[in-house]
Amino acid sequence: MHIAVLAKVVPDYEVPAMDFELSNNRAHERFSRMLGLYDENAIETGIQLKAKTSSSLTIISYGTDGDVQFLRKGVAMGADKLILVKGTSDDPSVIAQNLKLAVEELGDVDLILAGQQSADMDRGIVPGILAQMLGATFIPQVGYIESKDDLWNVNQITSTGKRELEFKGLGVLSITSIPENVPRIPAVRAIFAAKKKPVVKLDGVDQGKMALQEISVEIPKSESVCEFINADDPNEAVKTLLNRLTEERFI
Amino acid sequence: MKTLIIENIDLKKIGELVTVSKQFCDAPDIIALGEGDIPGSFGKAWQFGQAVPANLVSTVSNIIKQENYEVILMSVSTLGSGLAGPLSAALAAPAVTEVTAIHPDLVVDRPVYGGKAIIQHKIESTPTILTIRRKYFEPAQLDGTTAATALDAVEDKVTLVAETHEQTDGIPLEDANVIVSGGRGIGDPENFSMLQEMAHQLNGAVGASRGAVDEGWASPTKQIGQTGKIVAPSVYFAVGISGASQHLAGIANSKCVVAINKDEDANIFNRARFGVVCDYKKIVPILTQAIMEGK
Repeated sequence: MHIAVLAKVVPDYEVPAMDFELSNNRAHERFSRMLGLYDENAIETGIQLKAKTSSSLTIISYGTDGDVQFLRKGVAMGADKLILVKGTSDDPSVIAQNLKLAVEELGDVDLILAGQQSADMDRGIVPGILAQMLGATFIPQVGYIESKDDLWNVNQITSTGKRELEFKGLGVLSITSIPENVPRIPAVRAIFAAKKKPVVKLDGVDQGKMALQEISVEIPKSESVCEFINADDPNEAVKTLLNRLTEERFI
Repeated sequence: MKTLIIENIDLKKIGELVTVSKQFCDAPDIIALGEGDIPGSFGKAWQFGQAVPANLVSTVSNIIKQENYEVILMSVSTLGSGLAGPLSAALAAPAVTEVTAIHPDLVVDRPVYGGKAIIQHKIESTPTILTIRRKYFEPAQLDGTTAATALDAVEDKVTLVAETHEQTDGIPLEDANVIVSGGRGIGDPENFSMLQEMAHQLNGAVGASRGAVDEGWASPTKQIGQTGKIVAPSVYFAVGISGASQHLAGIANSKCVVAINKDEDANIFNRARFGVVCDYKKIVPILTQAIMEGK
């Protein structure tokens, strides 16, 4: 069996809002780059599934040559190889078309995993578009996955609990975080070994853009001014806090 | 513009989408999912019983084509997320997800970079698919009910084996006026009961950050943030929560944020109205006691 995981390299998603800045309407290039957080959950899920089903695992990405060094972390975690489709578009339809090129290049993919949403565009839409383009089944917000005979059995995390779902054939699943798929930290030896694993590079296409025009990107101003309550005496602090909350009619 | 709402039968979710639809039309149509009457007054209405979104793509896209809908509205949920991408590809329609504001002439805002920036798009062709972030629009009051045409899914790609709903004691998070939320700083699953007690005394609900959920201290249904629940209570107590932008994205419309954190440099204090720099274990029990006595 062959599992593919879609992964995207993004600007550091833990930069606090007050340090965040833009250049040319995108995150400033001074921020370090890394794998998206849900993408790492998807890679971890893929590696666990690889072990259980004796599958091979390929990481697929759409991006630039410079992203390869960061994608290798996924290889060090346990993937077998890497396939990069080269391009720089942020358009979800263009991205999905390029990811489809990689899936077709591999030819024998049985299951495609992706993060619930990227850590830069916050959209959660690329996996669903790709699924439709491939004629595959799309299920978002998946936690657990099991292979059962010729079926995939998955748990989807909903707002009120969970759904257990089954399907046959090619599926694209977007993965949410659960305690069981917190990404492993690769060993130093694995990081070195990952540098020798194969990387296939494909030239991307830049067509099929969505009819959307980007007007602006702006950082909203934070207007909150925090009133600090002295906590030297916790009893006094509680009294002051409750008084202030009542005065301002919050409670 | 001819507008279609696709949503589970849920007063608040449908109400919010009806509010959004007023920017495009007087009376939207609806495809509702679930059992029971469809609340509110709609032009045309269709209804699926319990259904998995993956099985509805072809039926729904055929309806959109036949009826020439121009704007398709869904909430951000497993339903909206399950349909937005496939419908966008099936209809070659532009899709914008997690929309937080709508301006005239099909100009919409949505957050990027974990909520640290807002991108504005102009949609240049219809049909267009929008998923709307919860709690950014006041739910419209829905009077009466609308009779619907029953639909069956044409495809049978996915089988629903079982569905479990978690029991919530007390008020659901999204409806709570007061939320007491814990993060990784809580340090121990046992200590979540301290927050539970405080929330109980305030007639509120307990939430959690992604960190606390990843540790297994709180169930994923309690997660608040960009990819969890979006809440807008009067008071949000953030206890041991550092305040990553992805978490703040879930509480953007809270009226008053109270931060209790040992680290005076924690980002949460940049969003908080009141801040207490202190070990929560010292202050939460006293706070709970004082609220109980004050009743």
